[in-house]
Amino acid sequence: MISSKAFTFRDNSLSPIWDKVRNGVRLTKEDGLALYASDDLIGLGRMANEVARSKSGDSVYFVLNRKLEPTNVCVLSCKFCDFAVKAGSKEAYEMTLDEMLSKLRPDLHEVHITAGLHPSWPWEFYIDMVREIKTQFPNVDVKAFTAVEIDYFSKKFKKSHEQVLRELYAAGLRTMPGGGAEVFSERVRKELFKQKIGAKTWFDVHKTAHKMGINSNVTMLYGHIETIEERIEHMLRVRECQDETNGFLSFIPLAFQPGNTGIKTRNDFTSAIDDLKTIAVSRLMLDNVPHIKAYWVMLTAEVATIALNFGADDMDGTVGEERIAHDAGAISPMELAKGKLISIIHEAGKLPVERDVWYNPIEIYPAKGTTVVSKMPYLNSVPFYHEFAPALKNIEVAPLMPSVLGRFARLGTVSAGPLSLRDFMSVSDRFDRLEYGIAVKGNAHSVLLFSKYGWSDLKGKRIGITSESSTSIELLRILLEKRHGVHEYEFVKLHPAQIQNNLSDYDAVLLIGDEALRNGELGGIPGFDQMYDLAGEWCSWKELPFVFAVWAIAKDVPAEAKTQITHSLENSLVSSAGHYAEIGREHGKRLGMDDAAVDAYLQTFRYRFGIDEHAAMAEFEMEWESLKRNNRTVPVGHSIAA
Amino acid sequence: MLESIRTRVNNGDRLSREEGRWLLQNASLLDLAELAETVRYRLNPERRVTFVIDSNPNYTNICNIDCIFCAFYRHEGDADTYTYTVDEMITRFKASAKRGIRTVLLQGGVNAAIPFEYYKEMVRRTREEVPEIHPHFFSTSEIIGMSDVSGFSIPEVLRQLKEVGLNSIPGGGAEILSDRVKKKISNKKGTSADWLGVMREAHKLGYKTTATMMYGHLEKDEDIIEHLSVIRDLQDEYHGFTAYIPWSFKPGNTPLEKIIPTYATGTRYLQMIAIARIFLDNFPHIQASWFSEGKKIGQIALSFGADDFGGVLEEENVHASANFVHTTSVKETVDLIRSAGYTPAERTTLYDIIAEYGPEEYPAAVLNSARLSVHTDAGAIMHSLPIIQAAVLA
Repeated sequence: MISSKAFTFRDNSLSPIWDKVRNGVRLTKEDGLALYASDDLIGLGRMANEVARSKSGDSVYFVLNRKLEPTNVCVLSCKFCDFAVKAGSKEAYEMTLDEMLSKLRPDLHEVHITAGLHPSWPWEFYIDMVREIKTQFPNVDVKAFTAVEIDYFSKKFKKSHEQVLRELYAAGLRTMPGGGAEVFSERVRKELFKQKIGAKTWFDVHKTAHKMGINSNVTMLYGHIETIEERIEHMLRVRECQDETNGFLSFIPLAFQPGNTGIKTRNDFTSAIDDLKTIAVSRLMLDNVPHIKAYWVMLTAEVATIALNFGADDMDGTVGEERIAHDAGAISPMELAKGKLISIIHEAGKLPVERDVWYNPIEIYPAKGTTVVSKMPYLNSVPFYHEFAPALKNIEVAPLMPSVLGRFARLGTVSAGPLSLRDFMSVSDRFDRLEYGIAVKGNAHSVLLFSKYGWSDLKGKRIGITSESSTSIELLRILLEKRHGVHEYEFVKLHPAQIQNNLSDYDAVLLIGDEALRNGELGGIPGFDQMYDLAGEWCSWKELPFVFAVWAIAKDVPAEAKTQITHSLENSLVSSAGHYAEIGREHGKRLGMDDAAVDAYLQTFRYRFGIDEHAAMAEFEMEWESLKRNNRTVPVGHSIAA
Repeated sequence: MLESIRTRVNNGDRLSREEGRWLLQNASLLDLAELAETVRYRLNPERRVTFVIDSNPNYTNICNIDCIFCAFYRHEGDADTYTYTVDEMITRFKASAKRGIRTVLLQGGVNAAIPFEYYKEMVRRTREEVPEIHPHFFSTSEIIGMSDVSGFSIPEVLRQLKEVGLNSIPGGGAEILSDRVKKKISNKKGTSADWLGVMREAHKLGYKTTATMMYGHLEKDEDIIEHLSVIRDLQDEYHGFTAYIPWSFKPGNTPLEKIIPTYATGTRYLQMIAIARIFLDNFPHIQASWFSEGKKIGQIALSFGADDFGGVLEEENVHASANFVHTTSVKETVDLIRSAGYTPAERTTLYDIIAEYGPEEYPAAVLNSARLSVHTDAGAIMHSLPIIQAAVLA
């Protein structure tokens, strides 16, 4: 279940739609039209905000990024663009590679490159562009080239889409922007941008990219001549593609700005109501797209702030140069510094999370007096969060993987959560333990080592380790060394974006959480004959449960917040007991699990701790300490993809 | 707490100060909006948003009360002072009336050189010579100033003004009705009791007035609840307030800019609108100001409890002095209301409906899109304040 909240609406027609949404039932085109037709803006916002919270908690993401537009020379003349000019025009500019590099800084995390379709630049120039940036700024991820550009390269350089993308991938391209989608309607395309690629080509490029490990975004340009029906159809096509490839990171509605484009719209600017509705409807329709972006440059920072309560969970970033929007009379300032973004997100009552291009949290910036509670984004943790809703506004929830939670707990920016056992041990002087956690006696089904070899043959082998994991890595070490006598092996961290990993490069792979569960449910990973359940291994060896995580709250959290967090957890556990199939249904569906499988899976866990769990924690601590004493710990290397 | 407040709001019960404060500090933005809409549709069930075709000129910029949030006033002897004669103002009113203006909201500095007769003359001649225009003249500070100059008591000043035809006064000058804050930002303007006292006397005589609040400077949440609370109490006495109008402090060119360099955000504005709609159960209308907060935020405020979109403000100088400029026109006002999903309706100063406008219908008044701004120095727009939407450039 996405939400336990039974809303009442001013517009009754929203009630059946909300029932569908909160039970994870997919909305139809008719539902989408009904949402747009409703005059209950606040009702739409409440639904969308609740869905966004189920995905991202209170987090609102931003990235330190910069936009590079290497040239404004373009062979096309799209009606809605007043950025592009023809070669030889006096406004034309072309950057050299050095000029581009001079605009970057090592503390950026993303560079967003789009350019006009230049009539004479050679293919090698584009490859060099990506490679040089990656070489000189290894921390800066290159998000480059819209489908329009990729298709142009394909035609101009006589390579297939796949070949173009493969060469760019080899140079270091890992994500693509979502531009050029406009509205997926032939009618609109013929009217406004008939020289540009249509939906079929756009999706072909993106699907090809997704399949080879390049993630992307998808935009929708609204507020010109498109109909509401065309907007909904646009969203449905995105949803359909995402079902197939799961490669979209975010959906970005872009409010059209007429500027000097000459396109006649009803009003000079889209209405704020339309902007917010579009954000909310996107969040509700696109159940399989992780993030909805309030792109402040187009939307104005003011409306973007409000949009953070209407379903958006991403602000884009500190974009340094936004020529396209600016030239058309965008009413946002050119640059919003990081501090400004943080304060805007605070003002919306949300939690600023600085991210990389894949939405991995780099840093979080809670407002003063805020208590941040981590939400473990795995199916096995659903019972903790089913009714977790502390009434205090200054308790905020952020979904964090175990390893990230551990890092933030050590930094002191996260104050409560189900800490991975090993991380809890490292902060136990500053955190109080609650009698809740995640333990299992027997198989856990979600901490799995997929291996091409039996335990004893793993000597000298290369083991890929999920970067999400914290305690499970140590458990694997203990099992390898103490139980099976394997002391030589290599741990290599997998890339945090699953789609980026080629698992066949490894002799064994440790996955946890939903990724492990999904692959386990499928019967394993092809090529890996063995599948070891690490909890099961431990339990049959020690005849004790295994404790993965323990709920803990920082000692400096105010008493009122502590009480609320504890009560909220207790409520969740009590109300979810006996209803596992129902509360885990929506999450399970994403992993291909039916009600019975979800119920059986959740039944295996022990969420309340007793004497056995305490004994298990002590045993783990002893084994781990002895490993460390013997100086046996093998460092974890990084994979090339990272 | 939220559930008990929701039940009380649904039952039409009045919220306590404690409940108001709790909502302001703990309720999420959309919970506030939901409660505000409950009250809005109980009091104003139509999906209609009103507006007034008005102008906000000033007869003088000489003022002796030195508010640190104001960029408009000048002292006697400054180079750029002005005081218009009644003749000059009447000429301007006539021109406004020709362009379809229905209401003039007239205010000026507190200028001790102007005799009481000037104000009476202004009202009397407006009524006689420009009957198309409703005079919505003189804030509480000016009325106190008239009392000081004339030696008449405040009730007497109000009575004499009423005699010559004044029946509504604007609600400006309230700022925050909390003396802790008022002392800091407008020491010479008098206390909360002074503002409330003038309003009480006016309501007693049958005047209709509005109540305003200026937030986003030195006030705390408690001060806002205090403000709402005292105007709600006064409203219980005579029901003389037609509407409540909050706006955010505009720091440009003001002494207070050094302490408060940035605008309060749109989110804060929506909270201010919503909390007022929930708390002020005896105020018929809440006015959203596209003018002070930007058109898009103004539109959104209509979903947070506001049912009025204010005036088209043919002329306005006070915010303009703070380099804060929004221009619009009657047509655009109607379009903004309509594209937000409401039926636009033109009203009088006293909130009587003049006409509703169906699809593609517009008021006969045809104003230019730009205001006829005599003293506006609209040079640098939004110089240091990047997060609010600036003037429309197109």
